[in-house]
Amino acid sequence: MRELILFGVLATTYLMVIAKRMPALIRGFRYQSFFLFLITLVAGYTEKQINLYFIALLILVLKVFIIPHVLNLIAKKISVEENLGLFVNAQLSLIVALALTYCSRVFSETLGFGMDYRLAAITVAFSVIFIGAFLMISRMKAFAQVTGLLVMENGIFLFASFVSGGMPFFVEIAVFLDVFVSVIIMGLFIYRVNKLFTHIDVNKLSRLKG
Amino acid sequence: MMSTFLKQFLIFDPLSLFFLFVIFIISLPSAVYSFGYLKGEYTPAKITLAWFLLFAFVLSMALVVTVSNVFIFLVFWEIMSLVSYFLVVFDTRHEKSIQAGMIYIVMTHIGTAFLIAAFLVMYKYANSFDFFAIKNACQAMPLQTKNIVFLLLLIGFGTKAGIVPLHIWLPYAHPQAPSHISSVMSGVMIKTAIYGIIRFVIVMLGVNSSWWGILILVLAVISCLVGVIYALMEHDIKRLLAYHSVENIGIILLGVGLAMFFIRMNMPYLAVFSLMAGLYHLINHAIFKGLLFLCAGSVYKATGTRDIEKLGGLIKKMPQTSAYFLLGAMAISALPPLNGFVSEWLTLQAFFLGAFNVTGGAKLFFGICASLLALTSGLAAACFVKAFGITFLGQPRSHYAKDAKEVTLSMKAGMFFLSVLIIIFGLAAVKIMKLLAKVAGGAIGLDTGAMSFSINNFILSPQAGKDIYLSTPLLLLMLILLGAAGFCIYMLFGRKRVVIYRTWDCGYYKLDSRNEYTATAFSKPFRIAFSFFLMPYRRTQKIRESFYHIKSFTYETHTTLVFKKYIYDPAIALVFRLAGSMKRIQPGSIHLYLGYIFITLLLLIIFMRQF
Repeated sequence: MRELILFGVLATTYLMVIAKRMPALIRGFRYQSFFLFLITLVAGYTEKQINLYFIALLILVLKVFIIPHVLNLIAKKISVEENLGLFVNAQLSLIVALALTYCSRVFSETLGFGMDYRLAAITVAFSVIFIGAFLMISRMKAFAQVTGLLVMENGIFLFASFVSGGMPFFVEIAVFLDVFVSVIIMGLFIYRVNKLFTHIDVNKLSRLKG
Repeated sequence: MMSTFLKQFLIFDPLSLFFLFVIFIISLPSAVYSFGYLKGEYTPAKITLAWFLLFAFVLSMALVVTVSNVFIFLVFWEIMSLVSYFLVVFDTRHEKSIQAGMIYIVMTHIGTAFLIAAFLVMYKYANSFDFFAIKNACQAMPLQTKNIVFLLLLIGFGTKAGIVPLHIWLPYAHPQAPSHISSVMSGVMIKTAIYGIIRFVIVMLGVNSSWWGILILVLAVISCLVGVIYALMEHDIKRLLAYHSVENIGIILLGVGLAMFFIRMNMPYLAVFSLMAGLYHLINHAIFKGLLFLCAGSVYKATGTRDIEKLGGLIKKMPQTSAYFLLGAMAISALPPLNGFVSEWLTLQAFFLGAFNVTGGAKLFFGICASLLALTSGLAAACFVKAFGITFLGQPRSHYAKDAKEVTLSMKAGMFFLSVLIIIFGLAAVKIMKLLAKVAGGAIGLDTGAMSFSINNFILSPQAGKDIYLSTPLLLLMLILLGAAGFCIYMLFGRKRVVIYRTWDCGYYKLDSRNEYTATAFSKPFRIAFSFFLMPYRRTQKIRESFYHIKSFTYETHTTLVFKKYIYDPAIALVFRLAGSMKRIQPGSIHLYLGYIFITLLLLIIFMRQF
């Protein structure tokens, strides 16, 4: 069961890598968050902890509904071209993502968590972190940077939940709040940047250099 | 608590005490002088700041020469450098000050970097920062390492001392500081580097190769000549004095280098004698350079310019300052019976004694060094004929000089004190030599009491039976007698021939100050004689109204600053080129920056896998 959900997380991450337009990217994030919700739910069921149910609920509300909704709203509001602007095209991105997954696999082995499902979980967690970073680097629009950061945060959540059986409850809550606030702030920024420069192409910000 | 701290970290051997003495004997008149100098020149708040900085400066120097721990030494060394940097940029009105400060702080930090490297190597062998522990550990140090440490120390301290070619900051930084600070910087601060060389190389490291002494001698001779030749070309009075500091540091280092050579040759007696000569010149230079900078400051305060081409005739407006300057100029030109003469004479004697006692090529080398030292003294005298003659004699060349007034009492008091010292250090030479021999003996590790020093009040004979005699009082007597005799002859026979008449001017009858001899003209023979080094060039510009009538004609003559052009400019260009190529990895793209972080992360992970 767990393995299946983990596979789902990885698959949705790949889905985001090949996304060329903003709605597709946000959809990918939504699916990934949904799988994260499922995995937390299963963990809560097997470990019989009420905290985990609560966190799962938070994931569902925040990451599956509200944050993607806010992102969609901003995307609509700024009404710029929906293309993300790929430095690296979809096919090549996928290859890079696969390579990163391999790297994570090798790295997880070095960390030494045994050979059971945990190894797979750590591998997936690292892949998600790496690919999130890769998304930030290889996409031109500021939108991708925001989403990449959220993806990385998902990966860190995954990693924490498998290494230490989840972070303390209050830390988890605080992180959720931080993520939510950061989405709002970054959304506002994107909106402002768009108003000021009539584009959100981060690539063009290099002109600001002295 | 306090006393154990003092015992643990301070050292009061003769060497440290000698340098403490030098520091305070120059700082005191400078402080008195600054009362009058600062007044009116700066706002009250700035004057307070100047006092604070002066005290911090003197205190840090005093601690530099008395601490007995390498680490603390470095701390105070750095404080000294920083405080003096703030003093160099004290005149924030002038953009030149900022530029001078920049050159100074870059050079001084390069020097400190070398010092830190040397100290770390020492620490590695001693496992302690304490002077005595390091001294003991240095005996077990392999020769190769010792050579490297010596070179590091030489570059580090040489930058501070202003040895050619590391002298580049001196002519910029010294003139820009307020004059009483220039006097302390030039008189004392650069001497702390000499202290460093004596303390760390001679006392702690121990001289193990004869090439150390020879290297220092070669650098010292070059410093002497380059310093004095540049000084001859200089028309900014304070910068001229700064170049003379380069020259005099060279003379001091001649003594130190000779001492190192003799230690290696196992001639302890000569080593003590040479080091004594070096230390004597050190304190003498501190005194007369201090005095000359104070005089230059008075001239600047009275006229508002440092360009000697715009001065002239000041002897009538500022008779006392002129007298002090003349005395300082005579001392620095090594005229008997003043103090500069004594120490340069001793240094020359050290060379002669060395030449007698060594064989082969070293004989020739010492002969050449001695003759170049003599040449340096001659050129220094020529330079001060120029500096004094153009600044104080003749007619005022500009309104700056015309409106000059004698300076206030506190400034005169500072100059007076140093003038008295010049005479004392000249006339009481024998007594002082005895004391300095003790200091030098302590540094080299010998008891001078046991040596056959036979110095009495009139005759100095370093080795009983050898004929070297010096008595400055006798010399003074001789000069007075000769002068009196000349005066008598003049009074008896010469008077009638004097006819008072105006200067013959080819019937032009309109001579004014513009027809006076200039500093540029005075130094022209030297410019031609040393043209292989100075590479003078001229720039002329004619503006013609017609073929027959030239409306204006400008003529400039410059000398090429060899070290700046061929060493520093290429080095700076290289740094800028490297910085420019580094800039390429910083194009302002957020993606690229994120990529750097990402790639670094991946590389670190791969790197970690190796373990």
